Amino acid sequence: MSHAFANTLAVTRLEWRRLLVRPLAWVLAALTVAWLAWNFTLMLGGFLASQVQRAAQPDGPGFVDLVGVPLLGMLAQLAFLVVPLLTMSTLAGERRNDTLPLLFAAGVPASRIVLGKYLAVLGWLLLWLALALAMPLALAHATHIDWGKLAAATLGLALMLAALAAIGVACSSFASHPALAAAAALVIALALWSVNLGAQMAGVNGGAINWLAMSTHLQPLLRGLVSSADLVWFALLIVLALALATRRLAADKERN
Amino acid sequence: MTIQVMTSPIPASPRVVLCLDRIGRRRAGRVAVQELSLELQAGQVLGLLGVNGAGKSTTLAMIAGALRPDSGGIALNGEDFLEHPELARTQIGWLPERAPVWAELTVVEHLDAHGRLRGLSGTALRTARAAIIERLELQPLARRLAGVLSQGQRQRLGLACALLHRPSLLVLDEPANALDPVQVAALRALVREQAAAGTAVILSTHLLAEVTAVCDRVAILHEGTLRHDGPVRAGDHAALEQTFFAIAMNGVARAA
Repeated sequence: MSHAFANTLAVTRLEWRRLLVRPLAWVLAALTVAWLAWNFTLMLGGFLASQVQRAAQPDGPGFVDLVGVPLLGMLAQLAFLVVPLLTMSTLAGERRNDTLPLLFAAGVPASRIVLGKYLAVLGWLLLWLALALAMPLALAHATHIDWGKLAAATLGLALMLAALAAIGVACSSFASHPALAAAAALVIALALWSVNLGAQMAGVNGGAINWLAMSTHLQPLLRGLVSSADLVWFALLIVLALALATRRLAADKERN
Repeated sequence: MTIQVMTSPIPASPRVVLCLDRIGRRRAGRVAVQELSLELQAGQVLGLLGVNGAGKSTTLAMIAGALRPDSGGIALNGEDFLEHPELARTQIGWLPERAPVWAELTVVEHLDAHGRLRGLSGTALRTARAAIIERLELQPLARRLAGVLSQGQRQRLGLACALLHRPSLLVLDEPANALDPVQVAALRALVREQAAAGTAVILSTHLLAEVTAVCDRVAILHEGTLRHDGPVRAGDHAALEQTFFAIAMNGVARAA
């Protein structure tokens, strides 16, 4: 195993362990999954109640449209709050507890520290997504599932969680206090989501402002449309945020 | 007084574990360390003395790889440490001031995390962990969370983490902080034991008695510069005290 990989893995394991023993991660998981489960049963009830009416429409919305994707949409809304809370301590907490120098002194470069912590948070978020996804999948044997649409929506959610996690880690790298990191990550994520709101209200559907908005790239995926331009947008955002975090962390060693 | 100004180029001779070549560092807008040069050989114990703000912790953080010098060079076992900061991973053990810990981890998890960061895994990690727990008598604390340990217990845990991977250079920043007299005696024995095994040790302290009890050499820093570097004569506490106070009172130290 190369040093670089071993370093990253060691940081990921350390962060993962800390996430698992911290009550915050468990409380967030329990509350959000319970909320999603409650909404899932409500949506499922609505779906079953309207089954007779929809039988008359052969191309009408199915289980994925009425239950699966809306459930993932709710998870996306929760993610705006959950991800900043989960990422806020990744680097700001280390800085506050004076444990960041321990990682530098172990010869771990800033890029590996950032990547290791990012992967740990991403692992937790993907597990969270899997738990939410398990609800509609539990009924796979009993109903018709549009697998393509569900896969595209899941990919969209995974990319959105990955992007929000990268923004959260970046904010944590700049902040001196975890609460500041959480607030900054929330504001940036909301701004990125709604930056084109004015343009949309004015009826403008193209241009740079719409390209910049996260909603522009997530909504097609939730509708089942996978476009490489949307995937590249998420990839660019993740790389940019992690690069900024790395740069800021490296400056800690250079300038502090 | 012995003022030693090293100008020897990197790399140093093979017997020399550490060679500082005119290193300097600014912190918070002021010069913390300037033009500091010294050598440390295998099996040697160097005591670093100085008043608060003299630059001891900054110097040790640079040696440990947690901070990068603004100027000068550091050679570790003949290799350029600034060019290869990853050398810290296996060759340096560092106990920072106040022994910061990841509060959510138990003592055993702490040792495992440090071991992995230092490249240990599997049987090698378990063996090293068991040995250091036994040597530092950490068995009663093994399952306790690091966050609830007393300062003295945290110092012992920090020391265990620094020694876990058998480094060739041990950097201890005020290791006797918060230790009781019995533990101080045990610490001195441990330092001498490490030196006898060929480990180079550099320790900072405010206690002159600590230096005369355990060190072969003493370096005195004042206002970021090296003012004295010479051998410690056993039992010659008075001479060391005279030199230290002469420097600390901003006078010119006279050779003892």
